[in-house]
Amino acid sequence: MEKQSKSKNQPIRIALAKGRVARQAIKVLENLGYVFPDYSKESRKLVFRDKDDQLAFFLVKSPDVPTYVENGTADIGIVGRDILLEHPADVYELLNLDFGRCKMCVAGFEDLDISFNKKLTVATKYPNIAKTYFDSIDQPAEYIYLGGSVELAPVLGMSDCIVDIVETGTTLKENKLVVERDILDISSRLIANKVSLKTKKDKITPIINRFEQELKNENNKKSSSK
Amino acid sequence: MLTNYTIDGFENVKYQGFGKLKFIENQLSNLFQRYGYCQVEIPSFENYEFYQDEQGINQDELFKLVNSSGKILALKPDATLPITRIAAINHHDPEEIIKFCYLTTIYKDFTSPEISKYETTQAGVEYFGNSDPSCDGEIVALAIESLKNLKVDDIHVDIGNVEFINSILDKLYLSQVNRDKLFKLIENKNIADLKEFLDSNTTISDEYKRVILELPQLYGKPEEVFTQMKELAITPKMESVLNYLKEVVTYLESLGFKDNINIDIGFTNRMSYYTGLIFKVYLPELGEPIVNGGRYDSLSRKFGIDRPACGFSIDMVSLLNYLEGQDLFENSEKTKNIIIYQPELRDKAFEMCNDIRSQGGSAEMFVSKGEFNNQVTRILKNAHYDNSNFYELNDEGLFQWKNNQKVKTSQSGLL
Repeated sequence: MEKQSKSKNQPIRIALAKGRVARQAIKVLENLGYVFPDYSKESRKLVFRDKDDQLAFFLVKSPDVPTYVENGTADIGIVGRDILLEHPADVYELLNLDFGRCKMCVAGFEDLDISFNKKLTVATKYPNIAKTYFDSIDQPAEYIYLGGSVELAPVLGMSDCIVDIVETGTTLKENKLVVERDILDISSRLIANKVSLKTKKDKITPIINRFEQELKNENNKKSSSK
Repeated sequence: MLTNYTIDGFENVKYQGFGKLKFIENQLSNLFQRYGYCQVEIPSFENYEFYQDEQGINQDELFKLVNSSGKILALKPDATLPITRIAAINHHDPEEIIKFCYLTTIYKDFTSPEISKYETTQAGVEYFGNSDPSCDGEIVALAIESLKNLKVDDIHVDIGNVEFINSILDKLYLSQVNRDKLFKLIENKNIADLKEFLDSNTTISDEYKRVILELPQLYGKPEEVFTQMKELAITPKMESVLNYLKEVVTYLESLGFKDNINIDIGFTNRMSYYTGLIFKVYLPELGEPIVNGGRYDSLSRKFGIDRPACGFSIDMVSLLNYLEGQDLFENSEKTKNIIIYQPELRDKAFEMCNDIRSQGGSAEMFVSKGEFNNQVTRILKNAHYDNSNFYELNDEGLFQWKNNQKVKTSQSGLL
């Protein structure tokens, strides 16, 4: 009995993907009025609670966010759509947060020839997304999984092209690569555990509504400044 | 020594866990029988062909075998289909009322990137021959009762109905791929991508688009959801689904389960044989539903008999883990009595053990070899023997191992 009342008073736990997405998400949370006394960009702590103990967030590697949320260790998560497509998880994708915008692209040297009668070698951090895309255009391809610095693969001749996220395109340019095809638009998503959304509805719904409201305000600002 | 002999994805339940599992099993099968359900044994194998057109199961996830006459069998990946088959071959009149319960192991590749799992134990009930909403009500109520019976009290039930969405999707004439995609978006409450999908599809009328966009929001307390559903019910079928759900909810409310139930129209059960009401039971801190169930009125037609049916299954492994995590078990472990005897005193040792056992205690015998304390240490290597009573029986009398010392004791002090 005691254990249950304890679990009811637990703060809502949010898993954030380390890096840019987390910084933007924390800014939004602070705009929403939550104060995290322990948090600073330099802090090496992993879990932060707000001062009223309503909310706790923790920073994890982005592919782990859906894992924490699917498992219920986190009630909510904020993570890029690229991760959700690459590692499908059984979670609710409630909101498109519209930050962390970028594109998933096929990139290669300018003279790259993508045609169905020639098998491509593709280096990527996202083999699932790449395979889904090339299968959808019936392009025969082989995939090489790399953990990072994917641009290196065509430069050194290991692959014909890459499938990766493009934000500014600077890395591509400096390595003389160009975007050949756009595959998808990527932005951050707010995801929720399927059980938490039901069992902790009273606490989670207000947080989601405030995120939604914040989004609308942002959009209004954007359209009025145009 | 370090060679890995584990078979991935198959668990061993042992020691205390086994006793607890048996305890839960007994509680449940007792309860089911008190509600009039007859327990049936389900064969391990099922005809593979029955699962070939089941979209809820990927063919690669099944264990397939070939029998001596070349027929392909599958280790059963669910219990509902075999029970429906058993009901059909033993009861030929479609109007018969048949209530079965079961406890069985199912085999399938449940593996996700995080865990590897190939088998699980399920307990459940199936109720054939009744198409009234009160039958659905009884099934949902029994699922709640099963958990209450095990002292679980924070129970959340989601009730849905596959027909509400299907009656709209049927009218859109989408390709199977697009239909599945649309369904997935609704199920994951992914409104952003759902909007994108609808915007890019020119064949869907605006009225349908408006209704579809609302579907992911159709969850919450029954009275609220019913009001929203009423507004969205643009076909007579949707209207009748709404009324059916209302009746089931009223049934459950009159049993006092008002606070346990929520409606969620935007979810499906994995198996595609569900035709009407479906439900899931969630427990807090457990990432997966513990009970799955619903109505499957057309499954029996596969076996030549047209009969309505409704049932549910409980995942016993998750339930065991949950109950252990919540300390909802009374400690029923018996203290072990270990008697180490000199060979010539065996008859005396037999007598002592039988005494202990006849009084309901646990007793084990070992022949004395060397020092008492060495033998105690050796037995204690298995943590299972922690907190046992150790006795040595020699020609000088009976000694007990207490606080790392050998203490003389009388036989009357035993137990």
